[in-house]
Amino acid sequence: MMDQVGSVGLIAALAFGIYAVIAGIAGGKSRSLRITRSAERATLGFFVMITVSVIALEFLILTNNFHAAYVAEHSNRDLPIYYKIPVLWSGQEGSLLFWTWLLSIYGGLAVFLNRNKNRQLMPWVVSFIMGVGVFFTGLTTFVANPFNKLSLAEAGKLIPFTAPDGNGLNPALQYPSMVIHPPMLYLGYVGMVVPFAFGMSALVTKQLGDNWIRTTRRWMMVPWMFLGFGIILGGHWAYDVLGWGGYWAWDPVENASLLPWLAGTAFLHSVMVQEKRGMLKVWNVVLVITTFFLSILGTFLTRSGIVQSVHAFAESDIGPYFAVFLGVILAVSLTLVFLRLEYLKSENRLDSIVSRESGFLFNNWILLAAVFAVLWGTIFPVISKAVEGRTITVGPPYFNKVVLPMGMLLLFLTGAGPLLAWRKTSFESLKRNFTFPLSIAALTGAILFFAGVHHLYAWMSLFLAAFVAACVLSEFYKGARTRQQTSGENFFTAIYRLTMRNTRRYGGYVIHLGVVMLFIGWAGLAFKTHVKGLMGEGDLLRAGPYLLRCNMLTGGDTPNYTYQQADITVVKNGEAYTTLTPERRFYKASQQPISHVAIRPTLSQDLYVVLAGQDPASGKAVIEVFINPLVQWVWLGGLVVFLGSLLALVPSRVEREMAEIRKAQSAALELRDAL
Amino acid sequence: MELGIALGIAVVLAVFVVYPLLSGEKEGRESLPVDVTPSLDLKRRRMVVYENLQDLEFEFQARKIARADYETLRESYRTEAARLMLASKDLEQGNAEDVLIEREVAARRARRKDQIAEAYVCPACNFQNPVPVKFCGECGAPIAKPRMK
Repeated sequence: MMDQVGSVGLIAALAFGIYAVIAGIAGGKSRSLRITRSAERATLGFFVMITVSVIALEFLILTNNFHAAYVAEHSNRDLPIYYKIPVLWSGQEGSLLFWTWLLSIYGGLAVFLNRNKNRQLMPWVVSFIMGVGVFFTGLTTFVANPFNKLSLAEAGKLIPFTAPDGNGLNPALQYPSMVIHPPMLYLGYVGMVVPFAFGMSALVTKQLGDNWIRTTRRWMMVPWMFLGFGIILGGHWAYDVLGWGGYWAWDPVENASLLPWLAGTAFLHSVMVQEKRGMLKVWNVVLVITTFFLSILGTFLTRSGIVQSVHAFAESDIGPYFAVFLGVILAVSLTLVFLRLEYLKSENRLDSIVSRESGFLFNNWILLAAVFAVLWGTIFPVISKAVEGRTITVGPPYFNKVVLPMGMLLLFLTGAGPLLAWRKTSFESLKRNFTFPLSIAALTGAILFFAGVHHLYAWMSLFLAAFVAACVLSEFYKGARTRQQTSGENFFTAIYRLTMRNTRRYGGYVIHLGVVMLFIGWAGLAFKTHVKGLMGEGDLLRAGPYLLRCNMLTGGDTPNYTYQQADITVVKNGEAYTTLTPERRFYKASQQPISHVAIRPTLSQDLYVVLAGQDPASGKAVIEVFINPLVQWVWLGGLVVFLGSLLALVPSRVEREMAEIRKAQSAALELRDAL
Repeated sequence: MELGIALGIAVVLAVFVVYPLLSGEKEGRESLPVDVTPSLDLKRRRMVVYENLQDLEFEFQARKIARADYETLRESYRTEAARLMLASKDLEQGNAEDVLIEREVAARRARRKDQIAEAYVCPACNFQNPVPVKFCGECGAPIAKPRMK
């Protein structure tokens, strides 16, 4: 019964979606308040009906309804309940439904939060968001329906069939951070539809002043934040589960998530140039389109299976639909940009090459170059197959060679950009601002060099990290000191008020500090070491300063999986350090093994121990030990970026004042209408 | 049962969606309100310039900017602010003229409709106000809102 409920939900949502698109266009063209209200309500209707479908599918999963093909394929009876909920997005059909549901939430929020503003834009915004919604609902309903029944082919006929148990959830997904990693990424991918819709609506209505750009910045910031956090969580999962000692492998699906994040980063910077100086208008519209296009391309790469990836769990034949959809997005958006070029003329010109504007411009060029480089490396296997007839995969060496120098330049700009003044900066100002951070960086660089850090990129990362940290911290310090002098506040109150006065700028600085921490973490990759050995009970293994002793090898059985475990005591420099228990599990339903790595983390280095398997000849455990310096800085940096983004989303004083003016104006308009 | 509930929700939502099309709304509020009036746009741009000026002042005090840069930039921001202020003023004057024209139109309409004109006769001094007013233009006495026939 619940599968029928789910199908009804999908079909009704599709109807509401199609209606919202048509009513949105009609409302926008006629500027009718009534039709627009109706279109907006249809968006809410779409949300409710997709929610009904999601609840129906979760119900089928939680109650072990193995007559539903999706449930039989991706769940099993003994799966713990907290891993049954993520079954919703663990397979193709479910994840498309989940995608659509998040889209419906974003759509509903966009309608609700703009019920009294951006009224001219809203009918078009509804049309564009729901246009994307109709595509995904259509796919979920007709091509990859999660409510299809399981059936057996017998004598040329399909007979309904209920499996006694399901195939189970992919073991790699049975991990705590995997429960929140995909939703975070999806919130990132899906959310890019809202800034895109606002951009397109501004183009349609020719309202290309700074109103749409201010609205869009906020709508871009939210998915950008989720996408970044999702990427970091994915890295954390890979590090803890895949057992190869790393967290980023330039896998096509990883790259696919990085692409919209990089383009979004470019937009969040260049948008400031338009707000302050009325420049880069075409560029900003193109960036909004690019970011959305890349987020759909990312979904396409993940789903179509055209590139080989560790994320091969959701491949299917829906690729051609996405290819057509991507074509439509490009055609519609670029045509609109072309038709509105005369409304996108710059109000000012670049005064000087040494200015904040040009800093942002360089940052944008490098980010876009990085997007192109990563995209090229990701789709190269497809291109090589088309051109030469054989698949050539480019691996991490290509990406590291091309992307690392760009990363260094970007890190430099992260510190240097905010030190440049708008319009132009004289040598005297440069000297004032750069002397202190450059001195700190030089001192750090010298100390690192004499301490034995000779790896070029690692040294450069740490040198620049010191430079940027000094730049950012001195911004806070100088600002707080100035407040202290003028208002007599104590230092901490001054820091707080300084930040809250311009949350966007100081939130941005916090994000930059997070980026510094990420680079410190990445620098540690140059000093990674790896030891592999066989260990039986009582055996010793040396890895750097650590001496590992295997005390015991045990095994066990749970309803969901069987496992082997090694109990290992670690001695560091002659002193007892820690005990680790790496584990190898074998999941019964899916018949797949997976390692659960044991990690002893510290800020300076992680001791990372993997039970990789059992040696068939000796019966001993295969133990791999990695010493990974500075990895924790990556996770902390990711968290700081997330918190900085939250801070930047708090409305600043100017935004609050503008909101009040707008409120007063609309009250005055209402009063005039009433009289 | 569950299917019935799902279908019921869909029907209720359909009514909810169509409702704005059926309900009559007040005349004049039929079309979408304008998001950015020219005066609001100018005000916003002026505020951005003020914000830039404030930032500049703050950065100068924090010794981030050399005096020569500070003076040049301050001058250019001030010029921009003055230009925007002038534009706002021009716009407001234009608006004031618009308001007068609107009043005249309203007055003529009022004169055409006797019943409304009658209703704006002052109960205290019997002055026939030419436009819809809340208070008498002659003696200032309050005038009750006319009832439309």
